[in-house]
Amino acid sequence: MKMSLPGRTLKRVILFSVLVYLFLVVGYYDPLYGAESRAQTVRVRIGTILASNQSDEIDPKLNTMRNQLKVMMYRSYRLLKEETQNVSWQGNAAFDIPGGRSLVVTPEEFRGRQLALKVRLQHGDKPVVDTTVRLNSGGNFLLGGPQHEGGVLVLSISATAQ
Amino acid sequence: MKDCEEIREGLGAWLDGELSRGDADVIRVHLEHCAACDQQRRQMARLDESLKSLVASNVQPVEFESFWRGVQERIAKGRRYEEARQWLHFAFARPGLAWAVPAVILILIGVLSFDWFWKGGTRRNNFSTVESIDPHGRNVALLREDETKTTVIWLYQNQEDENESSGENVETGHSF
Repeated sequence: MKMSLPGRTLKRVILFSVLVYLFLVVGYYDPLYGAESRAQTVRVRIGTILASNQSDEIDPKLNTMRNQLKVMMYRSYRLLKEETQNVSWQGNAAFDIPGGRSLVVTPEEFRGRQLALKVRLQHGDKPVVDTTVRLNSGGNFLLGGPQHEGGVLVLSISATAQ
Repeated sequence: MKDCEEIREGLGAWLDGELSRGDADVIRVHLEHCAACDQQRRQMARLDESLKSLVASNVQPVEFESFWRGVQERIAKGRRYEEARQWLHFAFARPGLAWAVPAVILILIGVLSFDWFWKGGTRRNNFSTVESIDPHGRNVALLREDETKTTVIWLYQNQEDENESSGENVETGHSF
């Protein structure tokens, strides 16, 4: 029996709705929550930047972060060092920071698309700051303030679940 | 031979050409020999001519141009509607194209979601949440920049502390 035009349209609308629903369900659970259960390690990247007012130069390597850095109102930004480490959950990744400092990052949790990182900055053996930050996988935050060579250090800390 | 009365009864039909050839010949032959009937024929012929001219002079000419234009417009409009209907039918009712519309929409959703999938949505919201912080006696400021959605933890010391720590720095060789 041949279906009428409104009938066929209704059928297509229903099929399309089912497809969109499946698309959203698969897209929601697989890349986001599925990734949480599969993530074995976290890639932690630390960029060490020297911010100062000694010149007006901004390191071309920092072009992608230019807008983020503007908030600190310095005139010059120079990338001193960039280091990436893969670290397992609850493991420690230690990064040497110029000026005898070190940064220890511990991934603690991955939930709701966000990573919880425990971050400890030390100057020699003395702790400078201990903090726990929750950030989106692939996102970053800035930790700044330590003085260094006539300016201040700004650490860009980013983490991505692998 | 028919008499004059029969001939005169048939004169109207004869003048209008409605008689058979045989009857018409009978009337024609009679008229050649009968002056009275021929006179009657002439009167009827004149009356007929007069009526025709009278009708022709009194009837107003009918304007058909606008009528035909309207008919043609209605036909053209109907064609356009039919063409549009056929195009819609071609575009949406063909089995081969039935999946085209949802497929295109799905592709658009996929393209728009590309960044969301591969970047984990970080570009849309890069804000980080500081759950706990221990600055070990130093002052700390938390900044959230709306444009880039960046969170900044800023460590600093007030002037008094800096003076004190400067003294310590000299002694210990450590600086904040």
